[in-house]
Amino acid sequence: MAKPSLLGLLLVAPALAMIGALFLYPLGFSLAAAFTEPGGGLSLMHFQKAYELYSTDILFTLFIVVVSTLLTALFSIAIAGILTLGETPWLVAALRALYRWPLFIPFIVAAQCMRTFLAKNGLMNNSFVALGLMEPLQATSLLDWRGIIITFVWKQVPFVTLMLAGAMASIDRATIEAGRNLGASRIRVLLELVLPQVGQTLLVGLVLSFVTMLSVLSVPMMVAGSQPTMLTVDMAFRINSYGDYATANALGVISYAIAGTVAWIYLRHSVKREVQA
Amino acid sequence: MDSPVSAAIDVDHLQVNYGSQRVLHGVSLSVSPGEFIAILGSSGCGKTTLLRTIAGFQKAAGGAIRLFGRDVVNTPPEKRGMAMMFQSYALWPHMTVLGNVGYGLRLRGLSKDEIRSRVAAVLKMLNLSGLEDRKVTNLSGGQRQRVALGRALAIEPRILLLDEPLSNLDAKVRIQLRSEIKALQSRLGFTAIHVTHDREEAMTMADRIVVMDAGRIAQVGAPKEVYDHPNSPFVASFMGAENTLDLDVRPAGAGVEVRAGDGSAASYGGPVPVGPVTAYFRDDNASLDDPQARVDGAIVLPGTITQRTYPGGHYRYVIAVGDRHFTVTDDRYHELDRPVGLRLPLASLHLFPQTQTSGGFHA
Repeated sequence: MAKPSLLGLLLVAPALAMIGALFLYPLGFSLAAAFTEPGGGLSLMHFQKAYELYSTDILFTLFIVVVSTLLTALFSIAIAGILTLGETPWLVAALRALYRWPLFIPFIVAAQCMRTFLAKNGLMNNSFVALGLMEPLQATSLLDWRGIIITFVWKQVPFVTLMLAGAMASIDRATIEAGRNLGASRIRVLLELVLPQVGQTLLVGLVLSFVTMLSVLSVPMMVAGSQPTMLTVDMAFRINSYGDYATANALGVISYAIAGTVAWIYLRHSVKREVQA
Repeated sequence: MDSPVSAAIDVDHLQVNYGSQRVLHGVSLSVSPGEFIAILGSSGCGKTTLLRTIAGFQKAAGGAIRLFGRDVVNTPPEKRGMAMMFQSYALWPHMTVLGNVGYGLRLRGLSKDEIRSRVAAVLKMLNLSGLEDRKVTNLSGGQRQRVALGRALAIEPRILLLDEPLSNLDAKVRIQLRSEIKALQSRLGFTAIHVTHDREEAMTMADRIVVMDAGRIAQVGAPKEVYDHPNSPFVASFMGAENTLDLDVRPAGAGVEVRAGDGSAASYGGPVPVGPVTAYFRDDNASLDDPQARVDGAIVLPGTITQRTYPGGHYRYVIAVGDRHFTVTDDRYHELDRPVGLRLPLASLHLFPQTQTSGGFHA
């Protein structure tokens, strides 16, 4: 029995080595660096500095990501609900064909598009003015926190919708019909009968979106101004402008902590479900 | 089938399409209040489509559906005020028994206490007392379908639609639930439409049977009427008359003379179509006799026994007559390869003017 397991180890060794060299080592290194003072002892001084300089940005990042996640949930539920319960064939067909497009556009391209779309003299305001919906003087730029949220939601809704609509399509159709048959409107069927059956999928999609949005650099950098901004931008700035890896690592650990909290909520929830089932 | 306004369900020249294909070709059916109707047919005949169109899950392409005189053909399913049972139970897995059974009441705005007491009453009726807080995923198939029945009955519907609710259950539970549903229907007096492909289920539960074939109603009538007097070869073979035999009927004196291909003949006084006919008969209508026997009002065909099985209670034989095979049930034990006479009483044959049907065992 020893030989096959040695062979197996040999087979997975390259993959393990890659994970070790490219992920675990840098992760451990940056974690250690965040807690090490210049002399070599353990210290929280980098965290103190990060907090003094960037406490507003930490809150700003949390605000952006939480609001974007909530809005993503709202739009995804609406779109997946229409795809599942819609009775207007052309609307369902059009939505099904269109909603996935942003999935194939990289964040940086999306950010670039949003710059031209949301600017004071951008496509959106110009269209509103041309349509007579607003005066040129009323036009304001949305290239601030609102721009970041719009870009994130635009980019993540298709991803969560894709998962959610798939899950909704695979539940027993008769459970939907049973609800309508008893007198439930389509919105009640969606919220009370369909959504609880796919809650787990929605949660997974939102957790993945949350972590993705937390780690995007291009969007806050291109869409919004520099103050306040998101932690990714601050980290890039610490490294590029000052070579200050220690503070950047401390900010990174704070990001891990935020992402880890969400992952913990998800894990706790799924364990609870498994115990129930 | 023109019906007065008092009909509980009045389906009037209903047409339904799937894409460009028409699946219901102008179906008309009137169901009285308190009546139990079974729609019977093989898969693809349109029986489920008819039920789903009545429930509102399938759009009609033409015709009308009136519930107690109210046309609902353009009404969404949630406003039709019916209840339905599904083959897959369709219980909501995230809810308890109380949540499932009480959902219809919750939609109707009843208070929590009221819902609890009414659900308790429904569960008591279905012998499910005490299971209120159980997850439906922790119930057996029979219990689940009982919960589904309770969910449907909790709103005290005037019309209950049953979409093959018993076909996923094992035989014992199925027969038990069959009589429970029937008993509740008699007690509560709701109108029921039950779609099934199980002939016995339809016969035992329904006041009237509707046999459907290829998107049309083939025959409507009381179970005994449809069973004893099928109006077409399709209904005859669907009701179990699966043996077919070509006969020739000629007027003779006051009655007719019925002659089989091999020369066996009998005279008969009953009303039968004249000319070449095809006879349909069930295996329990025929019996085994002496090959040379002459019996009044019956044809005796000489043949040999080629197969014998014992399904319980009686023997089932396959008899070869020339190149045709017939199935017959007989109480007595007979040796294989023995020459016998296949006795067919003319009164119990279903005779239809001949089409292109050929003789032999019609499966």
